[in-house]
Amino acid sequence: MTEKYILKKDHLQPFLRKLKKSHQLVAPVQNRHGDTLFTEIDNLDKVHIDLDNQPQNSLKRFFFPQQEVLFTYHNPARDSYYFETVADESAPTLYFGVRPCDMSALLYMDVVFLKNARDPNYLHKRQNNILVGLNCNEPFANCFCNATRNGPFIDFGFDLQLTDLGDRFLVEYDRSRGQEIISSWRQFFAEAAESDVKAQYQAFLEARGKFRLQVHLDQAVKKLAEDEVPESVWEELSMRCQDCGGCAYICPTCTCFTIRDQPISDSDGERVRAWDACTFSGFTLMAGDHNPVDRQMRGIEKRFRHKLQFDVKKDNRPSCVGCGRCVNICFGGTDIVRFINMTCCGNI
Amino acid sequence: MHDILTTCVYCGCGCGVYLHEQRGRVVGSSPSRNHPVSRNNLCVKGWHLHEFIHHPSRLKEPLMRKNGRLTPVSWDEAMSYAARELGRVAGESNGSAVGLLSSAKCTNEENYLLQKLARAALHTNNIDHCARL
Amino acid sequence: MAGLATTFGSGAMTNSINEIENAQVILVIGSNTSEAHPQVARRMFTAMDRGARLIVIDPRRTLLARRADIHLAIRPGTDIPLLNAMMRVILDENLADDLFIEMRTENFYGLRDMLFRLDLEEAAGICGVDLARIRAAAQLYGRAQKAVICYCLGITQHVCGTSNVQSIANLAMMTGNVEKEDTGVDPLRGQNNVQGACDMGALPNVFPSYQQVDNDDYREKFERAWNVSLPPKPGLTLMQMTHGGKDGQLKAMFIMGENPVLSDPVISKVEETLDNLEFLLVADIFLTETARRAHVVLPAASFAEKTGTFTNSERRVQMVRQVIPPLGQSRTDADIIMDLSARLGYVMDYESPAEIMEEIAMLAPIYGGMHHDRLENSWGLQWPCWDREHDGTPFLHKYYFTRGRGRFVPAVHEPPAELPDDDYPFLLITGRIYHQYHTGTMSRHSPLLSREAGEALLQLHPEDGRRLGLRSGDMVRMRSRRGEVQVKAQLTETVKTGEVYTTFHFSEMPINLLTISAKDHFSQCPEYKVCAVHLEKV
Repeated sequence: MTEKYILKKDHLQPFLRKLKKSHQLVAPVQNRHGDTLFTEIDNLDKVHIDLDNQPQNSLKRFFFPQQEVLFTYHNPARDSYYFETVADESAPTLYFGVRPCDMSALLYMDVVFLKNARDPNYLHKRQNNILVGLNCNEPFANCFCNATRNGPFIDFGFDLQLTDLGDRFLVEYDRSRGQEIISSWRQFFAEAAESDVKAQYQAFLEARGKFRLQVHLDQAVKKLAEDEVPESVWEELSMRCQDCGGCAYICPTCTCFTIRDQPISDSDGERVRAWDACTFSGFTLMAGDHNPVDRQMRGIEKRFRHKLQFDVKKDNRPSCVGCGRCVNICFGGTDIVRFINMTCCGNI
Repeated sequence: MHDILTTCVYCGCGCGVYLHEQRGRVVGSSPSRNHPVSRNNLCVKGWHLHEFIHHPSRLKEPLMRKNGRLTPVSWDEAMSYAARELGRVAGESNGSAVGLLSSAKCTNEENYLLQKLARAALHTNNIDHCARL
Repeated sequence: MAGLATTFGSGAMTNSINEIENAQVILVIGSNTSEAHPQVARRMFTAMDRGARLIVIDPRRTLLARRADIHLAIRPGTDIPLLNAMMRVILDENLADDLFIEMRTENFYGLRDMLFRLDLEEAAGICGVDLARIRAAAQLYGRAQKAVICYCLGITQHVCGTSNVQSIANLAMMTGNVEKEDTGVDPLRGQNNVQGACDMGALPNVFPSYQQVDNDDYREKFERAWNVSLPPKPGLTLMQMTHGGKDGQLKAMFIMGENPVLSDPVISKVEETLDNLEFLLVADIFLTETARRAHVVLPAASFAEKTGTFTNSERRVQMVRQVIPPLGQSRTDADIIMDLSARLGYVMDYESPAEIMEEIAMLAPIYGGMHHDRLENSWGLQWPCWDREHDGTPFLHKYYFTRGRGRFVPAVHEPPAELPDDDYPFLLITGRIYHQYHTGTMSRHSPLLSREAGEALLQLHPEDGRRLGLRSGDMVRMRSRRGEVQVKAQLTETVKTGEVYTTFHFSEMPINLLTISAKDHFSQCPEYKVCAVHLEKV
């Protein structure tokens, strides 16, 4: 993990072209409407890979799709069922330009989908990929990964990790597959000089000072652990929540899902896993119309407790990665930063 | 998976929404970040916009009432019968006994065509939609 | 929309949605914005976080009302006395914008004379709201430099809907709160393309761009363009068509993507009308309650299967893009219409929706600059957009009203057509809920939305519930002079005592069996917001 290399920016496109021969390429692409999304790239020459703006989506949907068929069921003679599992058919994929927040989110999802029951589709996608990360020299407007302590630079989880040094990238590897890629495509990589390593260190120092939001996440974690969050905070936030589910859907670590059986015809159907949100009242609805959670008073509570209290207790780190995607998108202004500020600073 | 920007079909806000297409199916919906209305979020209806598109109860073939029951028929049979009946009633009444309801769910182009059909082909101004409901 | 057309000259939102977040005071009347127009509510909440004040006028204590600085829980159907009282207060306290009134409007004296005759205590009594609170709301609105009024069907679905709208316009003009950025009067349109359907002339009295069919110049223009002679007499409105009964004028109908059996008032009358037609043709994506009654049902393509444009509430014309081909044998409505027209002997031949839009641009002046190639490479354009060089119009009535001067049209209180009495002691309000949409043709086929809100609920006050021996979850038999339904009760303080609220999304509980066919005299909008019902436990 001490070996560092240099990839010239001019050589990035040729390098990606080589890897694209064996892998589906996914990278942040700015489309003709001006939005930047992680997108499957068909033709490298026809897209604008955008490393200047934060992709509006994370990698979540590639590993944990918005809706996914788990198996189909059939009852042709109307007397007995049989099932067919739907195996994941996704091609080996290279994810390029993954920021530290999204990389950390993927490592978090590994815990959810692989730690106990190993989810076969997730596992297939996860074994089948190359992750090429990019450290953040310039945090984006709503970022606070310094507070969640998984950015702006990261040193694990990736296959290759790039740091922008102007006309060149400093390249590190973590997993052995990263090392293999470098040795297979040695022509693109030069050994890094000591000055390059120093430049990377300098970039890291500068990036840490460029965050625009000040988020006292540690304080909020402490207050939650000590059960010192005033009731009024939950009420105010829950009343603000407009029940869109957007915070959960856009969040790279929110992994709530629902399972449902969808008929296709009279004799066939499919079992589908689809995104869900803990803020929806149907998420906790029990038989007989009983709902243990009063959405209007406590609807948003689970979300913040899970991220900043339960996961801290369980795994000793919050499951918010500070990507800031939920900031400024909430219909009622109820994002995690507002919660933290309300809890710690007593105001909004 | 391909993301195609379109306009949400629920309320009058008109959010810019990406539909995710995979192997001929719409498998997801997500907002556009820079769209002036959606600004990177949708309401719960928008986030689940893709769910009704492939619902098994979608109508997939023309139906015609035969012996009191709606029965699958060919497009040609359905259309020639429909044109004959609409044409007959319009002809007999000089347009006054035909009425058309257009849809706030259809595109501008389709609404334009339907009122043109009413006025130019069926000779009637009996056309309206549910603007008031 | 007739109301705004007479006062301003144009019946559409005067602002863009984003302007709302810059307003200082937001007055919401007859709109449950956070459920029916979430993106508009989002701007309101942003504005409030920036210090704006919110006034909500709504009989119900909606989520939005709970966050308001002032919530005036008026009796349903008393908007005019309330607005008049606010205007009188503004007049008395010298908050009127005299310069604006002088420069931009006409008939202010007509309004002023009416207001001077108004008895404030009496008006407050009619509304059932404390006069001091009306005064506070008037002062808040009247003192704002930038104030926005948002209204929706809670204003228009009354017998006096047009006068309600005119009163709102009076209030805005009197205080100079139109014609500027971040200020205005914004009718929120209920459906995704209801604005566009109106713009396109899917109305009995106008061609595209609101050119009257009984105006010889306009008609000749369209006769030349379409190369056919056109009928000069305005046609029947929706309710005239669907409420003809068995003696109705219509013998055949073509219904494209609408479900009047669920959406129109007095369902039994609609069913009788449709069942007595010689021929009913329906094109839809699902077999709706209306389609079940048809002689021929055509499978239509959904919005994901076609290209075209929608026009949103802020007059923004934007692209709808095809994502997948039409499912099964379904066809786009455009293809269906062109096929039908050719078989009727009038050939319409367009190779693409873009070509249709070219024809629209030539004939509809407000769409003069709308072309698919321009819309493709932008976030859409807001009409009026006169030609290719024009960038569209984010807010209307800059420098002058569309009709020249804004006209004050004074209005007096007109009570709802049917109010509670001893036999039918409860007042029923109908509307929408967040998770469902219109007659549920699309939203009820979405599993998650149906999980969140899968059945109709009747909101009633806990006190009324106690009196009737009802608890949440109990079934209620609800009866009006026109029909009866059974619905599950939900006890909540969202509604006042004596008032109940439910929705029209669910075919199992077709609430429009109960609603009244009374309608606004000008706009023909049915009075969905008020009728009298009787409740009993099942």
